[in-house]
Amino acid sequence: MIELALETRDLKVYYGNNMVIKGVNLKVPKNVVFALMGPSGCGKSTMLRAFNRLLELNSEARVEGEVRILGRNIYAPNVDPIEVRREVGMVFQYPNPFPHLTIYDNVAIGLKLNGLVRSKEELDKRVEWALKKAALWDEVKDRLDDYPSNLSGGQRQRLVIARALAMKPKILLMDEPTANIDPVGTKKIEELLFELKKKYTIILVTHSPAQAARVSDYVAFLYLGELIELGPTRKVFENPEHELTEQYVTGVLG
Amino acid sequence: MKRRQINLRHILMPFVVFVFALFVLMLAVYVYNSMPIFHREGLDIYLKNMWKAAEEPSKEHYGVLVAIWGSIYTSVIAILITLPLSLAYSVFVIDYAPKRVKEWLIILSDVMAGLPTIIYGIWGVFVLVPLLKKIVMQPLHNYLSFLPMCSYPPITGFSYLSAGVLLGIMVAPFASAIIREAYQMIPFTYREAIYSLGATRLEATKILLGYIKPAIYSGIILAFGRAIGETTAVSLVIGNTFNLSLALFAPGYTISSLIANQFGNAFIYEYMTSALFAAGLVLFAIGLVVNLAGIYLLRRWEANVRL
Amino acid sequence: MSGYNVRKLKEKLFLFLIGALTVLMFSPLFHIIYSVFNNGIHVILSRRITFITGRLSDGGIGPAIIGTFILVFLASLIGLPVAFLVGVYAYEYPESTLGKATKSLLQIMLEFPTILVGVFIMQMLVVPMGTYSALAGALSLAIIMMPYVAVYTHEAMRQIPFEYRDAAFSLGLTRVKAVFRVLVPMAKRGILTGVLIGIAKVAGETAPLLFTVGGSYQTYQIGITKPVGAIPLLIYTLIQSPAKEHHEMAWGASLILLLIFLGIFIPVRLSLREVKV
Repeated sequence: MIELALETRDLKVYYGNNMVIKGVNLKVPKNVVFALMGPSGCGKSTMLRAFNRLLELNSEARVEGEVRILGRNIYAPNVDPIEVRREVGMVFQYPNPFPHLTIYDNVAIGLKLNGLVRSKEELDKRVEWALKKAALWDEVKDRLDDYPSNLSGGQRQRLVIARALAMKPKILLMDEPTANIDPVGTKKIEELLFELKKKYTIILVTHSPAQAARVSDYVAFLYLGELIELGPTRKVFENPEHELTEQYVTGVLG
Repeated sequence: MKRRQINLRHILMPFVVFVFALFVLMLAVYVYNSMPIFHREGLDIYLKNMWKAAEEPSKEHYGVLVAIWGSIYTSVIAILITLPLSLAYSVFVIDYAPKRVKEWLIILSDVMAGLPTIIYGIWGVFVLVPLLKKIVMQPLHNYLSFLPMCSYPPITGFSYLSAGVLLGIMVAPFASAIIREAYQMIPFTYREAIYSLGATRLEATKILLGYIKPAIYSGIILAFGRAIGETTAVSLVIGNTFNLSLALFAPGYTISSLIANQFGNAFIYEYMTSALFAAGLVLFAIGLVVNLAGIYLLRRWEANVRL
Repeated sequence: MSGYNVRKLKEKLFLFLIGALTVLMFSPLFHIIYSVFNNGIHVILSRRITFITGRLSDGGIGPAIIGTFILVFLASLIGLPVAFLVGVYAYEYPESTLGKATKSLLQIMLEFPTILVGVFIMQMLVVPMGTYSALAGALSLAIIMMPYVAVYTHEAMRQIPFEYRDAAFSLGLTRVKAVFRVLVPMAKRGILTGVLIGIAKVAGETAPLLFTVGGSYQTYQIGITKPVGAIPLLIYTLIQSPAKEHHEMAWGASLILLLIFLGIFIPVRLSLREVKV
């Protein structure tokens, strides 16, 4: 049996009395790009935020069921969300490096807060390492003290990726990371995913079946809060079991 | 169509121009009436602490330095009190207060902002000053009188400190309103970002407050502007004495309390009215600069924050 | 993992601190309201209606109450039309240079030291007329009230959805008619709010009255060129008196003023979401 990076057991999410994720069972193997796809409003971004307990920022949201990361249920009573978030990096739909922090500090912030490095040298090294991993180093190495406002959308998004990678997370969550990025930037980020999956498990939310087909190894199709189909990307796209899935991947279903 | 459009402008414009003219006229009145004392004292009117009223004009001498100092000193004390209160309030209201509590806290802060200043004044005189004298000034004076700030014996309690504390209470809702609105305007994605990095609530709040720093500055500046212009409550608790001092427990003057106390009788003397207009001119200038700076900072920040 | 525990401890302290500071920020307000009621109610109860209707020598603040009403009425009469039209201008011509300048000027006047307005009016009106007057006080208050009402008018009209504006103009109305017959009535709630907030504000002002109204508490004056009293000014005078009895009256008058203020402010505030202060 392969060790799983992430597993959900009967995961349900409510906003108030409204159930938006309706009992989902997922298994995500290690070192893959796992795409969560579905039309807007299907609950994929919500589900992603259940994987690092970010839903807790919304006082209306309530989670039931289990999310196991490397075997441990992160909703068990003795688990602190801060520990979870340290091990699960996240990249957002809108490239959101902190505009009032320098490029350097944006990458360093998580390390500093969590006390993950012991010295300034180590911090410098880790920042450089993360920026290289995010394929941004060459573009920003001479202006680490600049603010991110001068970067392009794609560069900003790679900065956010570096920010997450700096903490050496076990899993990287990406919420439609190319939704607000131009095609050139998108291509770069997609290429980056191939590189990153050697070391990390990536869970990518996308509303574009084409992107899921391009970059993922496994894909889950989510519709109105329910998991419709799950499997190796190739199989799901070439030979979908469910009619809804077929409609979605062929573009009949918005 | 063209003609009709001009019509509305024609109806409204005179009133707008009138308001501008009134404001300019106000400035002109202050400048014009300050002239006699400028000719007589030169810059000394602002650089000296002197208040010699005399029936004989040749013996009159005025310098309002103490009032300028008092205005700035009390307003700075006010800001030091207001800042932690309004930051804590803003964070509490936006991040932690349940919805109903949140609404009430905002209403309460609006009530505080609108409450007639004379009511702060009467409370200041009969409640706050005796209280501060007993629990702050006397103990500090007893134990720390070697410090220049605590060296003055708190005889009456009417002092720079009392005025500063009362002002701090009064302007807190103004700073709060600006900081609270800015804090609320932070796009949710930045909140998610900082928490996704494993920050505690304290750490996240620090980062988010860093994000709205320009708005915090403008809140401070505008609160300072309010504090420096406040008259009634301050003149009741500051002690109204020409006493240029760093001592917190000593009585003093502010520009507005000086005008409030002296202007009524100033016409008896040749130059006193002019001296008070000169003091008012400083207040005018500070008010103008401070408010323009605060408004400018706030607008620029608001333009930047939109995603 | 001691670093982690320290962080959690700091977080707990922080949560406690912001709660405590928030309570601290509002404790003066509660104590003020408590003090004013506690100290004011005795005077009012012991003198009953005399307190409201009597002259100062009878132990009442009647002339001050009348004075405040006269001043607020006159100030509204002078200030409201100007404020309203300036607010409409700022809304209709937001991109013009004068429109932008108007918005800035309104903000500045909103924050402007009110004592400076009083001194200005004294120099321009009281000195030439040779007497303090209700008119001078009302002018001061009108200048102070103006920016509040103008800003509210501007805000209220900006809340009108753009489609209604288009609709009003597409009916072939002239700009004047579209604005005054269609848009202004749509914003009337917001404008009324501004008017009431402005009134609540100036009813409590003291500094601009110091050198303008004169303060008359022994007689009921009729006539706008005569000196009048005002509740806030009376309180200011009474506090500075050495007599204990005057202090009691000051508390009583404060209670009346507080009730007037809360009576206007609370209903207005509850009927809408945000207030510009």
